[in-house]
Amino acid sequence: MVEMARQLTLPIGLKRRTRLDRFIVGPNAPALAAVGESIKGEGEPLIYLWGRAATGKSHLLLGAAAEIAEQGGTPAYLPLRDAETLDPAMLDGLERMALVCLDDIESIAGQAAWEEGLFDLFNRLRAASVPLLVSAAQPPTELPLTLPDLASRLTWGATFHLAPLDDNERRTILIDAARELGMTLPRASAEFLLRHYSRDPHRLIAFLDRLDAATLAAQHRPTIPFIKRLLEAPETAD
Amino acid sequence: MTDLWGKCKEFLKDSISEVEFNQWITPLQAQHKDNSLVIYAPNKFVLDNVADNYKELISVCLEGMGLPRAPAIHFRVGEAPRQEDDPAQARRSGKPAEVWESNLNHEFTFDSFVEGKSNQIARSASISISANPGKAFNPLFISGGVGLGKTHLMHAIGNRIVDLDASKKALYIHSEKFVSDMVRSIQHNRIDDFKRKYRSVNVLLIDDIQFFAGKERSQEEFFHTFNALFESKQQIILTSDRLPKEVHGLEERLISRFGWGLTVSIDAPDLETRVAILQNKAEHMLGAHLLPEVAFFIAKRIKTNIRELEGAVRVIKAHADFSGEAISLDFTRNALKDLLAVHEKIVTLDNIVKTVAEYYKIRVSDMVSKKRSRAIARPRQVAMTLAKELTDKSLSEIGEAFGGRDHTTVLYANGKVEELRKTDSKVDEDYGNLVRILST
Repeated sequence: MVEMARQLTLPIGLKRRTRLDRFIVGPNAPALAAVGESIKGEGEPLIYLWGRAATGKSHLLLGAAAEIAEQGGTPAYLPLRDAETLDPAMLDGLERMALVCLDDIESIAGQAAWEEGLFDLFNRLRAASVPLLVSAAQPPTELPLTLPDLASRLTWGATFHLAPLDDNERRTILIDAARELGMTLPRASAEFLLRHYSRDPHRLIAFLDRLDAATLAAQHRPTIPFIKRLLEAPETAD
Repeated sequence: MTDLWGKCKEFLKDSISEVEFNQWITPLQAQHKDNSLVIYAPNKFVLDNVADNYKELISVCLEGMGLPRAPAIHFRVGEAPRQEDDPAQARRSGKPAEVWESNLNHEFTFDSFVEGKSNQIARSASISISANPGKAFNPLFISGGVGLGKTHLMHAIGNRIVDLDASKKALYIHSEKFVSDMVRSIQHNRIDDFKRKYRSVNVLLIDDIQFFAGKERSQEEFFHTFNALFESKQQIILTSDRLPKEVHGLEERLISRFGWGLTVSIDAPDLETRVAILQNKAEHMLGAHLLPEVAFFIAKRIKTNIRELEGAVRVIKAHADFSGEAISLDFTRNALKDLLAVHEKIVTLDNIVKTVAEYYKIRVSDMVSKKRSRAIARPRQVAMTLAKELTDKSLSEIGEAFGGRDHTTVLYANGKVEELRKTDSKVDEDYGNLVRILST
């Protein structure tokens, strides 16, 4: 009954809550530990996380912001991949936050107003001792920034490369994400998805919403034959 | 009462995407008073967006709370009034902007500044100024590339002056902040407060003045601040990534004034200095010295930026804290493998040849040809010198890469370029630019 009521009010299923303790560590334990220390106010003032897509960069940033908010602090999270619809003016006053997270900083490379705005923000955060978490696709020395002052400052922090997860870890992510939706995804089904659908965690998790809706509508468990049928069906709902 | 806002946030968290929630809602603060919910945003951009896109959702939430009358919603830029029992917030808020505060970084002292050939003169001049502020050299202009210690040195001067005479008021400001403070003062009709703040100090430290370029109103205001401080014999210290006359968009009268005192430059540190810097950072951050082979391993690979050296120590510290392992050479190699792979990948002989050819607008084939005209020989000599400085290649390997030349040719080129860098500022500037291009 509860499930049905939830389904009516929130047709895409329960909102996921990214948390640090749900981060699948894999080879990236030192990065997670450093982020944890930083938000306790005991760690590095700047942590720079880089790696290819779906390695958990946004997870660490969103998880850190959530933790600060739970402690009663006021964090700021900026997805810079959306910079085209945003404005550097939104960097004003962020030195009053308890934590600032800049996701996908490479997206603003080459945009003078953004680069200068971030450089200025960096200096203000440092003066106010506000921790900064940055994520990017490249290490700081390879970012195509045009402002050398900003590039130099980004090398100052503790830099971590986030390595991709192995298939066991991807399967764990998938099973955990399904559990968050209230769905028990059998290990064999998760394995099937990895083998036949995608190994990209973002794509897999996005598929879970569709699977969740389908299992609820059909009142069926997410078995391999069920998933197979769903994959063969046209994706009209998406 | 912020519980009301807490409930609103829970409602919003379930109603919008997680990224949207973190982007727009978590930076907000709120105060519930007299049946009003005042929502504070860090800036106008966030405020406008929240008012346009989320006010309705917030209203729905408030109306659904079963209160006798739903509170009215107001939006403001700034912070919610502080609660006295929240020391963390009180600490963050600091003093009102109008009140003077020195904001010197106490970690940046002469003791923690590692001296080497590349910064010896700058350091000596700085110590001399600290003992005699406003009189010895005024202004002091420190130039040098990014990440070489200019900011450290200027803070060290300020700290020493205040240590020697606690009544001295030293103010550090980044030039971007100077500009934004001024703009805000004009907007709020408080330019007199602004002038009073900057003209009442004994030591004014302005960092990265190249950011004044093209900002005429700021230059005008700074010009008057400069004059007021100079005439009353207060010390002014400026830094820039280039010499005053090379900052395009800076007014002549400012350039001329910057030349009244002393201009010193800081160059990229040599290997021994980089090792000493690493040991100093390690002492400070790890509470221990690095093994010599570890320090040399890093210093040989990170060559042009002190911030990067510090970043490397931070990475090692994070890995050591996490694993509890001793910092051996193998441990360091493993902890820094991604960081160092980047350096080793970028600075290759091919990359140097290509970059230098592009910089001097000559063909790559000319760089490795037998041609000896100066227009080609000079860039080739610069490239060979860069190859010696930035790679671990032997002189023979470098000579081989430049059209099968002998290792003595590389040595000669190296000597020639070093000599030219001392006598010809253009060659020195070009060399510095190329090091930056190749290393970042």
